[in-house]
Amino acid sequence: MGTTASQLGKDLLSEYQELTFLTKQEILLAHKRFTELLPKEDRTVQSTTRLSMEKILSMPELKSNPFRKRICHVFSTSDTKDGSLTFEDFLDLLSAFSDSATLEIKSHYAFRIFDFDDDGTLDGGDLEKLVNCLTGETDDTRLTPEEMRQLIRNILEESDIDKDGTVNLSEFQHVISRSPDFVSSFKIVL
Amino acid sequence: MSYYNNSGGYNNPAYHDSDTLQIDRSPPRKSQHGNPHGNPYPREDGAVLRERSDLHQLPGGGQTISDDAQGRVPWGGLQEESWRGEDCLPVGLLPPQSESPQWQHDFSHSGYQVDQKAHYDTTPLVRLPSTTSGHVSMRFRGSRKMSLFPVGEAALCNLGLSEDDVKNEMDNEEENLIKELVAMSTRDRIKAIRDLPMTFADKKHIRGQVLVFKSFKKSQKWNCFADCSKTVTLSFRRCGANMTLAGQTLELWRGTMKEVGGKFGTGVLSYFKFLKWLLMFNIFSFLVNFGFITIPQLVSDPVISAEVNFKGLELLTGAGYFNQTVLYYGGYSNESQGTENKPEYNMQLAYFFTIAAYMLLCGAALIYSMARSFRKRFVLDDKASGGAWQLLCTWDFNVTNERAVRQRKNNLSIQLKESLSDNIRLALLPLSDRLKHYAVFLGTWLLSTAVAVGCGAAIYFLCQYEKEAVNKSSGSLVDEASTLLLPFVVSLVNLVVPLFYSLFRKIEVYSNPRMQVYVIILRNVILKMSILGILCYYWVTDVAEQFPCWEAVVGQGLYRLVVMDFLFLMLGSFFGEFLSNVIGTNCIQSLGVPEFDIARNVLDLIYAQTLAWIGIYFSPLLPVIQIIKFFVLFYLKKVSLTRNCQPPRRAGRAAQMQTIFIAILFFPSFVGAVSLLAYTVWTIPPSESCGPFRGLNTTFSAVHIWIHDLEDVNSARWTVWVFQHVIQSEIFYFLITLIIIVFIYIFWQITQGRKQLIALLRQQIVNEGKDKAFLLEKLQDLQKSKHSKPKPKKETGNRPENESSPGLLQALLARQQMEEEEGRSSTFGVSMPSDRSTSTTSSTMVHAMLLRQQADSQAGSYRGVPFPAEYPALSPTSALIQAMQARQMAESEDEHHRTPVPSQNPVNALPSTMIQVMQARQRAQLELDQDEPYRAPDSYDDPILPTSNAMMQVMQARQRAEEEEESYRTPVSPWLAQQQLQDKYNDRY
Repeated sequence: MGTTASQLGKDLLSEYQELTFLTKQEILLAHKRFTELLPKEDRTVQSTTRLSMEKILSMPELKSNPFRKRICHVFSTSDTKDGSLTFEDFLDLLSAFSDSATLEIKSHYAFRIFDFDDDGTLDGGDLEKLVNCLTGETDDTRLTPEEMRQLIRNILEESDIDKDGTVNLSEFQHVISRSPDFVSSFKIVL
Repeated sequence: MSYYNNSGGYNNPAYHDSDTLQIDRSPPRKSQHGNPHGNPYPREDGAVLRERSDLHQLPGGGQTISDDAQGRVPWGGLQEESWRGEDCLPVGLLPPQSESPQWQHDFSHSGYQVDQKAHYDTTPLVRLPSTTSGHVSMRFRGSRKMSLFPVGEAALCNLGLSEDDVKNEMDNEEENLIKELVAMSTRDRIKAIRDLPMTFADKKHIRGQVLVFKSFKKSQKWNCFADCSKTVTLSFRRCGANMTLAGQTLELWRGTMKEVGGKFGTGVLSYFKFLKWLLMFNIFSFLVNFGFITIPQLVSDPVISAEVNFKGLELLTGAGYFNQTVLYYGGYSNESQGTENKPEYNMQLAYFFTIAAYMLLCGAALIYSMARSFRKRFVLDDKASGGAWQLLCTWDFNVTNERAVRQRKNNLSIQLKESLSDNIRLALLPLSDRLKHYAVFLGTWLLSTAVAVGCGAAIYFLCQYEKEAVNKSSGSLVDEASTLLLPFVVSLVNLVVPLFYSLFRKIEVYSNPRMQVYVIILRNVILKMSILGILCYYWVTDVAEQFPCWEAVVGQGLYRLVVMDFLFLMLGSFFGEFLSNVIGTNCIQSLGVPEFDIARNVLDLIYAQTLAWIGIYFSPLLPVIQIIKFFVLFYLKKVSLTRNCQPPRRAGRAAQMQTIFIAILFFPSFVGAVSLLAYTVWTIPPSESCGPFRGLNTTFSAVHIWIHDLEDVNSARWTVWVFQHVIQSEIFYFLITLIIIVFIYIFWQITQGRKQLIALLRQQIVNEGKDKAFLLEKLQDLQKSKHSKPKPKKETGNRPENESSPGLLQALLARQQMEEEEGRSSTFGVSMPSDRSTSTTSSTMVHAMLLRQQADSQAGSYRGVPFPAEYPALSPTSALIQAMQARQMAESEDEHHRTPVPSQNPVNALPSTMIQVMQARQRAQLELDQDEPYRAPDSYDDPILPTSNAMMQVMQARQRAEEEEESYRTPVSPWLAQQQLQDKYNDRY
């Protein structure tokens, strides 16, 4: 770990500490893991170095997560929207999923992860995809269309305060704030 | 029309993400001048939108939802109020068209520029006085900016904004943000920047900007003091960071925890966290006791009377060899150590104060963590919201194991299906069934209480028996072993009875599985507390009277209990988990692999910790045993868990259980232990022959003696004074109690007030929703009527017509309704709207919108369409003119009421205005969509004008709303629950 520390540089490290919810150790660990995923020939992390989505998803922490692709897309700053991450994006991801991130941040990113079509609101389509993601795509776990309809109606009844048929960010945050388990479960530890 | 595509506006991000509304305040100017006739809306957009909306349609399901949503909305809000008469002035008609020449003049000259520039550029940032609220508004800005990036783009395209506009707007946002950040203190700023929901690069940029700004400012007024304080704070921060770093390094079992969490989820992980937490308590208590009590004793009197040989059985019984060691109270002397020229070390005081301080610290830590977890997990939990979201948003991102994930998915789908069927089933339950349930509850409760009482009685008699046995004992090995009978029985009861209780699960029927868990926990707590209660009673009455060195006897008893409990915990995990796994996998398949019973295991831990707390006075080194016990237990449970158990089937509620466990640890357990200790210290005479307090009436009189000695020392006068006038005076406690009660009452009132406020705000949101739905419905009606008109043949050049009278009528109607609604909703505030301006403004706005919409719809539907000659040639501009007029009126009224009305209830005007703005915006979108199919290829250039006008208006309206928001922020501030309000606002907009 000593080598990575020197690689990162003190200023950079303190900047990372200041801008994310991560501790020094977590940042160093993240750096180590990130470099391990880079090709062997070129292991210097620059701010422009990007890891492709496939590489990122090969990490055991994300490998079997049902939202892995969404997570990559949400945190990627890539222009081509291919879900590739720079080291800073990667830190962003870990920061949002860290222990000390605020509910505000967590719910914000959760909303964006659940918003499958990136239109800024959770509508019926998003909710359906969300449920399918969580129950799995196999036939025996999947809900029937009838059940799905019922479920989505329940969800909207529960959370759609202004009755516009979709759940927007503030409504979502309202729901989240009443679900005390969210903060402890919306967490990824390296 | 199906629900998900009934309007393009639904799918427009900007419409929903109202934050994005901010971004296009200025652009209209540009599109008006720079691009007067070019089509700013690329044709593809509409098509894309439509396509997307089609995608959103559920497989055959949209209709139901839409019926549901619309069915309840339209008139309910208007009709439920009866008083609507007096305060709503008769709806004024709009000035007829003939009265508008002056306005038209305006129109032709200055057009839409009105005062936009002024509005836009001078919008001051209303900064709230306190830092917290400043932070709130800043956070809001941050999220607003955030929303520009991912979702705003489509909207921007739709609005036809050029990139420059967007960039300008963003820069402006950023500038404001930076200004706010610069004003903060360093710590606040770091926190604020960290809390911004932006990408890392953006945060970095912001931070850089702030630092540049800051250093620029600094160089202007730079002095020594600032420099010094800066260095000091910096070093403090470094120090703090290093401390946390050290804490991180010491973090125990990180990898193991991660593994457990990855496989079994947060619920099971919380058991291990709890275990670790208790372990920390014990390590701390060991360090304190060892450092302040044991080491001085060992230093002064290192020779341990080793008359008794070590036989091995002592490890279990704690008697014999250990009896005279520092393990127990009896092993400590009452002498003050130290020679004459050195300060003395008073063993009595050290013993007393060490334990008192430890208990005090424990209590503080418990209260702190309890309060924190209550705040986080209980306050906002409301029972009405069950079900689906709870399941969906508690997906455990911790779980990384492939198999566990699959299993979790299965469980979740089962749970979802259950929750769906529950809703149906719960409604109907015949009376006889319910009676049967109540009878079962009664029976099980009686049975469980009887069992608890029986166990208590049995243990009491066993205690009596043990007392006699000890009296008669000859010191043989068998006699010593017989002392193990009592702890054995106690531990056996603790192991078996909970299993028996869990059988009740089969016959009891609870509507709510959580309820069931609570009941089981409650029964177990009652059982354990009654057993401990009996034991304590036995110790402080019988033992204290009979034995010469009774504290050591109690200490031995506790030692035996702790050790025996340890053995039984190991056995318990063997029987409870290993055996049922073997049975479940090999013999009876239907039982299946057992789940880890978090509740039972945590209660065991709590019981063990209670023993340790009680024992700390009688046996200061008991924490050592406890540490070893917890350490072993951790690994044992981990192995047992991974080998024998499967992940829990029911997800969720882990956080609440944790809160409950901390509460149980505090209330019966810690409070019980403290009261026992307090009783011992204050009333029971300590034994005459051993221990630090020999020869005193009570333990506490050691403090009296100390104080008495201090009276001779001049420099310690104040201690004496404090002791006599504070600790010993009733008046002081009386006053303190009084003050605390007053504070509790005040805070209670505040919470009541906030609850009311929450209810009001919720109602408000619902009402706004109704308003919106109502207006949407109106709009749809309009569109339907438009669609049903025969569509004439194509012929460009001819312009739409004055058909405004029916439309106008409708608009007026709508307006009237709006006013009523408005008036009604404003009664939520304290005052009735005696000045009508609030409602007028918004309703006028509505009016304007409606008119505008109407105008546009006319323009839209007849656009590129031939017109029969019978329509008088008044052109769409007339409708537009009207709209503008209305808008102007709204504006002037706006102007008028903004300045002089401070007492107005600000809650009302704002959201409704916003709603209208959103609506207008949405409508504009809608038109876009709808216009597309009608637009003949050769008529591309002419429909732009009205549409962009509409856009203009939307922009301006939005801007106005924005202003209103700003101007209202200040009056809001004195509110009691100002913070909350702010939050609500921000959340909503």
